[in-house]
Amino acid sequence: MFRAEPLVRIRLHMLASEAPDAALELARFGIFSPAQYASEALTESPAEAYREAWLEAESRVSKLLERCGNMGEMVIPEGAAAPTLADLEELNKWLKGVWNTCLSAHEGEARIQEEVRHLDALEETLGKLERLNVDLAHLLREDGLLAVNIGSLPAQNVRRVGEALTMTGSLVSTFDQVGDQAYAVIAGPRDRQEEVRGVLSQAGWRELPVPQELRTHPQAARAWLAEERKRVEELNVAGCAAMDTLRGQYRSGLDEARLRVTLGRPLAEAAVAGVRGRGGLAGLSGWIPRRRVEELKAALEARFHGRYWLDVKIPTREEAGQVPSLVSYPGWLKPFVPLVKSYGVPRYGEFDPTLPFAFTYLLLFGAMFGDIGHGAIILVLAAALFRKLGRMAWIGVAAGAVSMLFGLLYGSIFGYEDVIEPVWLSPLHNPIHVLTVAVGFGVGFIVLTLLVNTRNKYTAGHVEEALFDSTGLAGLLFYLGAVGGVVSMAGGADLATPSWMLAGIGITIVALYKWIETRAGLGERILVTAIESLETGINLFANTLSFMRVAAFSLNHVALALAVFTLANGLDTAGHWITITLGNVVIIVLEGGIVAIQALRLMYYEGFSRFFSGDGTEFVPLKLAGVK
Amino acid sequence: MSAYLNTRVSLYSGRLWQPADFDAVLKTPDEEMAAALSSRGLDQLAAGYSFDSQDNRSLEQRLIAEVLEETKVLIRPLTGAARGFLIYWTGRIEITNVKTLLRGKMTGERPATLINRLTPMGSFGSLDIQDLAHAEDVSELLRRLEAGPYAGIVRHARRAFEDSHDPFILDAALDRGYYEGLAHRAQPLENEAGDSFRRLMGALIDRINLVWLLRYRFNYNLPPAQVYFLLVASRYSLPSSRLRELAALGSPEAILDALPEPLRASLRGAPDIPGIFSRMEIAAAEVAAKVLHSGAPAIARAFAYLILRERDLRAVRAILRGRHLKLPVADIRLAMYRSSEEGNA
Repeated sequence: MFRAEPLVRIRLHMLASEAPDAALELARFGIFSPAQYASEALTESPAEAYREAWLEAESRVSKLLERCGNMGEMVIPEGAAAPTLADLEELNKWLKGVWNTCLSAHEGEARIQEEVRHLDALEETLGKLERLNVDLAHLLREDGLLAVNIGSLPAQNVRRVGEALTMTGSLVSTFDQVGDQAYAVIAGPRDRQEEVRGVLSQAGWRELPVPQELRTHPQAARAWLAEERKRVEELNVAGCAAMDTLRGQYRSGLDEARLRVTLGRPLAEAAVAGVRGRGGLAGLSGWIPRRRVEELKAALEARFHGRYWLDVKIPTREEAGQVPSLVSYPGWLKPFVPLVKSYGVPRYGEFDPTLPFAFTYLLLFGAMFGDIGHGAIILVLAAALFRKLGRMAWIGVAAGAVSMLFGLLYGSIFGYEDVIEPVWLSPLHNPIHVLTVAVGFGVGFIVLTLLVNTRNKYTAGHVEEALFDSTGLAGLLFYLGAVGGVVSMAGGADLATPSWMLAGIGITIVALYKWIETRAGLGERILVTAIESLETGINLFANTLSFMRVAAFSLNHVALALAVFTLANGLDTAGHWITITLGNVVIIVLEGGIVAIQALRLMYYEGFSRFFSGDGTEFVPLKLAGVK
Repeated sequence: MSAYLNTRVSLYSGRLWQPADFDAVLKTPDEEMAAALSSRGLDQLAAGYSFDSQDNRSLEQRLIAEVLEETKVLIRPLTGAARGFLIYWTGRIEITNVKTLLRGKMTGERPATLINRLTPMGSFGSLDIQDLAHAEDVSELLRRLEAGPYAGIVRHARRAFEDSHDPFILDAALDRGYYEGLAHRAQPLENEAGDSFRRLMGALIDRINLVWLLRYRFNYNLPPAQVYFLLVASRYSLPSSRLRELAALGSPEAILDALPEPLRASLRGAPDIPGIFSRMEIAAAEVAAKVLHSGAPAIARAFAYLILRERDLRAVRAILRGRHLKLPVADIRLAMYRSSEEGNA
């Protein structure tokens, strides 16, 4: 829980023809994270063609499933083998044929819909043309001189088309607009009709077929429209039936295709990291937990009966940067993992701060927002929103509970300080005490971070940094000495001389280390050493004082409640309780939010920045499904 | 923020190449080429340089990566219309990708081959390339594009294409749609950033319109009305009314004679359409250089820098390609000017 699980690098070599099955076996194994395979001997990338074919098949299957609706749960048979490249190519051919059939049926549906919309527009146009009081028969009659077009085009093109067509001696007149489509009549000399057509083809023009009936008798046009609607409706019914037939016809084939694509996914995904090969040999590389090597060997043996070669290697200290981090967390700690990962992923071998983060974050939140009533509301709200928030709701539940606990210690309930006796103390009445405790907590926190950083540096092989740097053991000596000195000066202890000596030794070691580490001229070296040593002291001092905000916010909580009570007491009974209620809502939402952020800020900047690099790589296992 | 951008543009302007730099690179031996490119601020190009394996695609991709990287830095302090404009300016590279996808679908290219031919857009990419490359045909691709950020441009192109199945119509509609969008986004900046920005846009749109007009009218023999429709609505030296008059003329010479001064004087004696483009491009570069070295608003200077930088990079591309093909220096020099055309028209 405090550090990533020890991993080993494996290199698995097998017959190229069995690479899909090998990747499938590793995906079934469930805890293999592919990695780049650098090999001078294996110069080819045999899985690239496989991935290409798989991507095509996957894309087609996804598109087809989208149109087929719910196909139900997929069952992967125990001994199912992964498709070969030839299988995938064949599958692709079949899927392409099915897709083209479905596409033409689907396009047919789209065309019918378009025709329905067109008829709607035509009906509307008919109404307008009837009111135009124009002799359409005269307007639209075949004429040797004048050509007339009625149709629609995108409204934004009307002006441009009008300008262009003036060059052909034509006129454009719009008479309606539906959505972004403008309906227009275009009239011009027949001998330049070709030029008009050229412009209109670019402009998204759509001719409106005006039926013969409309030209002579508008009432007859209504009957014609009704007939057209009936015909389109029949087409629609036939189209739907055709789609249903297609779904039935291809359903089992699609189910099989879906299974094959799922079984082919592991090698296609492993190909991204790089599967290497040469001739009939293929090799892939990745990381697995050390404790499961034997289990993997047994699984491979059972599947390939010796037709493989597995190389297992423990990563060296120099390779640590390439190793992904695999950390297992108990269920109750998992909700806090995203909060830590939003800062960074622990590097392999680095201390994983999730557990101390969870405890310290809750402790800080409770200390800054201690109130039985407010805590209870947060707890109940988080529990009520469990379905929506999922696992993250537990953070709210825990924060609410800790807030209630501190409310009990402070004797605070919905801001009332005199309803119950504080088990520990009331921040309002003991501000100095609360501030002292907060700073004391900060000292303990910073000491812990320096210790963890020393350990991290040591395990990463940076022994000098662990011992002599400002964030290592020397920095810790200085800090402890300085804290002892300040406490002695304030009369809290009688250790002034040894404390300041300890601090002096610590800062001298830090300064000497900086001096040795700085590669520069004498002047710059003196400057860097002086500034960085000074910065060590200032930073630690400022970081310690930063924890005073914990006390400040616990006081702030009481102060806000007092302000609400002052406002409420000046009002009548109804106003009083409305103000108390709204005031408490404001406190929970506003102050609760601020405190949640402040606690996170303290963790990130005063804690993580001191010891947590967060530049690790996440362990992403090869899976049968769900990994893209 | 404009102080930051101004400083950044001033620092970047030191990366622009002088004629002496091009001469020096033309004479640089192959083994020293990577170092020469790196010392002139072209790290990305230098990193992948290899005389033996100069494939055009990778060269193009690295040049564009260089431009996109600098654009990313320049837009960092910008907000609103200025930011939107510079981001849209990178969109023409993506439009080129759209055209590649469309041509690939017309010729039945495999998705992986097609994806390799596209220019990576990095953080400026707004298209789901994997999804688009796996469309079965042009119609499906166009429908998918209609659901994306270029819906406005693609919708009309699709309708026109479905009627005619002419790839030229698609290309013309996409180009026109893109530059109409650019001119539209430039309008508020012309009001805010004033004359300097307007001059940059004017040089760009006038050049595109005149070259397209000549090409459509006399190379493709399209009728005047259709030519006019395919041009970008303009408010610069060649406004729409003037373009209409020019499109109606019957020969390139008549069109050049009917141009307003000083455009007519600058193009007098131009031998052909590429020649006209080159002259206009040189004039536009002069305008951009003036804006860059003036006290113009930061967005105008940033745009001017990007115009000049791309021009430099296109010339570098011509040099590298020319050397790889073992062309004589004189031919490479000619290509350096002609290559500009590929970028914008």
